[in-house]
Amino acid sequence: MADYKFDTLSLHAGQSPDARFGSRAVPIHQTTSYVFDSTEHAAALFNMEVGGHIYSRLTNPTVAVLEQRLAALDGGVAAIATASGMSALFVTVLALCSAGDHIVSSSQMYGANINLFEHTLKRYGIETTFVPPNDPTAISQAIRPNTKMVFGEVIGNPGMDIMDVPAVAKITEAAGIPLVVDATFNTPWMIKPIELGANVVIHSLTKWMGGHGIALGGAVIDGGNFDWGQNDKFPTLTTPHFGYQGAILWEEFGPAALSVRIRTEGMMNVGPCMSPQNAFYILQGLETLGLRMEKHMSNTASMLDFLVNHEQISWVKHPSLSNHPDHEAAMRLMPKGQGSIIACGIKGGRDAGRAFIEGVQLASHLANVGDAKTLVIHPGSTTHSHLSADAMASAGLTDDLIRISVGLEDIKDLKDDFKQSLRTASKVAAAKGTAA
Amino acid sequence: MRITLHNTEIFASTGGRDFDSTGNVVIFIHGSGQSHLGFMLQHRFFANRGWQCITPDMPGHGLSKGTAIKTVEAMADWYADFMQATGITEATLVGHSMGGLIELELASRYPHLVSKAAFISTALAIPVNDALVDLASTKESAAIAAMMDWGHGSSGHIHEHTMPGTSHMFYGKRLMASNTQGALHAGLAACNAYTNGPTAAAAITCPTLTIVCGQDRMTPRKAGLALNRALDGQLVEIPHSGHMSTTEQPFDVNKALRAFF
Repeated sequence: MADYKFDTLSLHAGQSPDARFGSRAVPIHQTTSYVFDSTEHAAALFNMEVGGHIYSRLTNPTVAVLEQRLAALDGGVAAIATASGMSALFVTVLALCSAGDHIVSSSQMYGANINLFEHTLKRYGIETTFVPPNDPTAISQAIRPNTKMVFGEVIGNPGMDIMDVPAVAKITEAAGIPLVVDATFNTPWMIKPIELGANVVIHSLTKWMGGHGIALGGAVIDGGNFDWGQNDKFPTLTTPHFGYQGAILWEEFGPAALSVRIRTEGMMNVGPCMSPQNAFYILQGLETLGLRMEKHMSNTASMLDFLVNHEQISWVKHPSLSNHPDHEAAMRLMPKGQGSIIACGIKGGRDAGRAFIEGVQLASHLANVGDAKTLVIHPGSTTHSHLSADAMASAGLTDDLIRISVGLEDIKDLKDDFKQSLRTASKVAAAKGTAA
Repeated sequence: MRITLHNTEIFASTGGRDFDSTGNVVIFIHGSGQSHLGFMLQHRFFANRGWQCITPDMPGHGLSKGTAIKTVEAMADWYADFMQATGITEATLVGHSMGGLIELELASRYPHLVSKAAFISTALAIPVNDALVDLASTKESAAIAAMMDWGHGSSGHIHEHTMPGTSHMFYGKRLMASNTQGALHAGLAACNAYTNGPTAAAAITCPTLTIVCGQDRMTPRKAGLALNRALDGQLVEIPHSGHMSTTEQPFDVNKALRAFF
């Protein structure tokens, strides 16, 4: 036995070969419910005296393998898989915040995250103050007595602003509140936020973790490293739970109190569960996460070199480039690679950008990132189109911004595809007299 | 439950149920660097089946205040005082690892307090490598990591858990890291210094159960078997568990305890 390393855990964590049939692959337990041995067994399961499964909205054996693998990879005490990354964030907020509470959030992140905080949660009495993720002073100053969490993406979407996790973690630790981070763009292969002081990690598994673009999924990783009993800010964890005979989760489950709350409230009463079929698909992706991330990084480095030197590209943004405002933090926190998302501007503005996106043949124009295949999109007209002009500006979105999610194709084929499409874009720009 | 003992606030889990000291009391005694959470899958189980379960966190551990006690003998005295403070006149003891050493002392020196004694993943003595004792003092996180590595069997290392979605290894690390600084070192040093096990075992007259685990690298199977020979009690072997058997193989542990109780 050994303390297994990342690639080994990616393949094995959470699963021993099936005891009955010897199945090496993780079996797909496509079932809603589970037969109890006896009424005593049923009661024990409902009261969380023993481990096991009751109903697949709460837990499922296939999903549990995925959850345990995710916990192992991120260094968490537990994980809860959800239907999507958005639902993972929602059930986390639900477990920590109530009407009258306050959240400090990054202003530089995925549009749906911003809308959840700015509009949806506000209707339920939870207010959010948005601050730049790379400004620890602003984060510190935004914290109020009723603040229950600080939230941000480790690598912001799409501007790739970097949250300095250790610096922010010092602030939240001093304030007695948890640091919740979305680690979708980095995956635990690049950086493990819990090791750096974050307390909860959110993933959209739909992206790099799955990598194949065939299954939606999300996850909450409970770091188990926050003392919920240090103050009276978290009554959902430190006072009797309405379920489970009034159990005080912090006393009964200790480091796993948050994940138990999420499972027994968010999953039980809201129900954004992951299907076992999707868990199986995402497990297949996780098996090659390390290999894929290495190729994502090497292809991204080559693509950056190509774009920076291409005459049709007006600017390139990536944390590995020395002109990125968070370059130092990115290189310090993510030495193995700084992500496979590139933002760039194409000379000729919106029309040239549209021509480029419609001209690519290998790269796919769609609203996703982290696929094995290279993806391109114009965020201003798609993923972030529902944001106001101010919010767009605040998120660092310009009219000419193209987001590239660099995939795993042979890099020469990718460059050839981009070359031919950029030629088309340059002709559009020239026709409009906007090439310069 | 929270009580004050020796001017220190002490937390004791009662398995989510009200506690009646006049009932059929079971006291769970945790090991070095552990807390009541090591028995999470035992005290809830038995508390909901009529037993009056109580699992105190020793000073400096878990949710209890104070500083860790330095010797196994003093820890046994502390449990005797805890029983008096909570009105427990007699109890079944369940000790894990260092908790088993405490139990040897408690059952041999306070026989009137103990009706039965179950020993889980423990031995007559638990010598600890000097390097590990030093590491617990100089770099506790490294000592915890080493103990989690050695303490878990195959299912623990592969991060399986009977509680869906939970990781054995990281739950264990966080549990141990949440104790007061110095608690682990005190426990390991106390284990290392304890030599009275054979004498204490010979003096125990109540019924005993020893649970021995096949993948235990901290209190190996042969050490558990030696303890059982000294106690001359019941024996249950769990082949596919490491040292952290209460969380690694809770169904087997609970089945053995239930039959013994």
